[in-house]
Amino acid sequence: MDLILRLSDWLYLLLNGLAGRSWLLDTLISLPLDNNLVKAGPIGACFVYAWWSGGDEADTRRRRATLLVTVASLVFVMATTKIIADGFFQPRPFVHAQQAWHLEDGKLVETAKLAYREPLNGGVRNRYRALERGEIEQNDLGSFPSDHAGFFLALSLGIFLASRRAGALALAWTGAAILLPRIVTGMHSPLDIAAGAAIGAAMLLAIQFVARRTQQWALIPLAGWTLRHEALAAALLFFVAFESTNVLTNVRDLAGTGEAIVEHVAGS
Amino acid sequence: MRRPLLFALALALAGCGKLDQEAMVLTVEPGWTAEVAASEKDGFASPDGLLWADGSLYVADEGGSAVRAWRPGSRTTLLADSRAGLASPEDLVRDSAGNVYFTDDTRGGLWRTDTAGRTVALVAPTRGLPSTEGLGLSSSGDLVVGDATGHRVLKVKPDGTLSVLVGPEKNIAKPESFAFDESGNLYIADNRENVLYLLRLDGRLHRAVADRPGFSPESLLFSGGTLFITDSDNGKLFRYTPDDGLNVVAVFGGSLANIQGIAADEGGALYLSIQSDLKGRKGYILKLSPRAGRQSPSSP
Repeated sequence: MDLILRLSDWLYLLLNGLAGRSWLLDTLISLPLDNNLVKAGPIGACFVYAWWSGGDEADTRRRRATLLVTVASLVFVMATTKIIADGFFQPRPFVHAQQAWHLEDGKLVETAKLAYREPLNGGVRNRYRALERGEIEQNDLGSFPSDHAGFFLALSLGIFLASRRAGALALAWTGAAILLPRIVTGMHSPLDIAAGAAIGAAMLLAIQFVARRTQQWALIPLAGWTLRHEALAAALLFFVAFESTNVLTNVRDLAGTGEAIVEHVAGS
Repeated sequence: MRRPLLFALALALAGCGKLDQEAMVLTVEPGWTAEVAASEKDGFASPDGLLWADGSLYVADEGGSAVRAWRPGSRTTLLADSRAGLASPEDLVRDSAGNVYFTDDTRGGLWRTDTAGRTVALVAPTRGLPSTEGLGLSSSGDLVVGDATGHRVLKVKPDGTLSVLVGPEKNIAKPESFAFDESGNLYIADNRENVLYLLRLDGRLHRAVADRPGFSPESLLFSGGTLFITDSDNGKLFRYTPDDGLNVVAVFGGSLANIQGIAADEGGALYLSIQSDLKGRKGYILKLSPRAGRQSPSSP
């Protein structure tokens, strides 16, 4: 494990070394982190392409069944990364650059600082400046595993299973525009990204495997329903594509609001 | 395609087993060192309120339903526990005669353990105090008690006589902690509405810190002209002065995030209680010490 951590740190230092040298480069690297359209718009577009790209009706039905299972699996991927994040604490690389102590065998040990090159522009720079004033949310200190890596890798891989062409583009965009900038700007270490991606990929493949073997009786008719009700299916597809741009944040907010309403009604 | 993915997953899961940083303390303000002073191995369960007096740390051990004293380097001494009726001790003070007073947010009431080890209810829960929170001791020897249910701050004479210091009309939702400054003004932490109040000697109540995102005051300590504030919701230790406002001293993450009580020793070191797992009876007492050359927070 020490070797993996050292390798992760080495790769992080190499990639973070790109930051803080050029305002233009930092602005471009930060763009997918700060702008949902740039971050996930292309992935949503690939999803929609895969949805409509079947050669014949049977092929379209098969692709849509795969995409429907992919959407369902995203919920499990997010839940898994959150549960693991609650159990394992690894500070963000830019947090690691601060004076800190960590708990090791019941003792606080001063943490060796990790070098950090601050981007010259973008939201991460603002977050780093806020961190130096202590203005960071407690649950934002840790970064293991990366939920973005889990979510977008699962989504892109699901698209790839439905349509090789759209999926290859989605995977490439996920790697280059979503995950790489997170390492370059010090939001995540390569280990965070690798763990999140592995969780996303493994869960997606496992759920696809189970669904194909046990849920065909429901999936194919459901996909057939989307063909018979194209207008309504397209409207629902809009919600899926929209929500995929922000890692189910609105869905989670809605769930929180629903819970608060239930508590309010039950309490009154 | 599947083999590399499975390999990556195995690698990631293997890594999970040996991640060594289950928690961290980030010192935003330079000049502090951090250490674990004590943990449940030293005889605590899950500590809440803290008080330093005469070389000992007094601990409201909420997880263990007990009040204990601990002298650094030794095991804890039990002062009172559930056999005396304690359920969830919250905050505590000690008077000049050595009596220890404490509140209990589950059982309610105001309790006193004298130097002979006898524990009695100075104010019984049945006297309108079903849940008590913060506790303070004024220079005149009067106690101030936070009434979580009645949304009041009460003054209690040493003989148990009650009077209302701040009534519910002032909208203090949960008076969680108190600290007197050197002039006798009273700081009040409301950790339900996330407001730090200042009750001046002339009776005026002032909102010193309010409507600030990421701020929920838990415990207060006035030391060396500075008010130190723990924040369990946000895992932070703040310092506040009227001139400099509110500033972050340290941020706590992972299993150290639930920072509760605070006390300072004569050397200026801060003791902080951490409830890692209240039900699981796990917790820590951390010590933040000023580095050599740094002005002690309790120095005049």
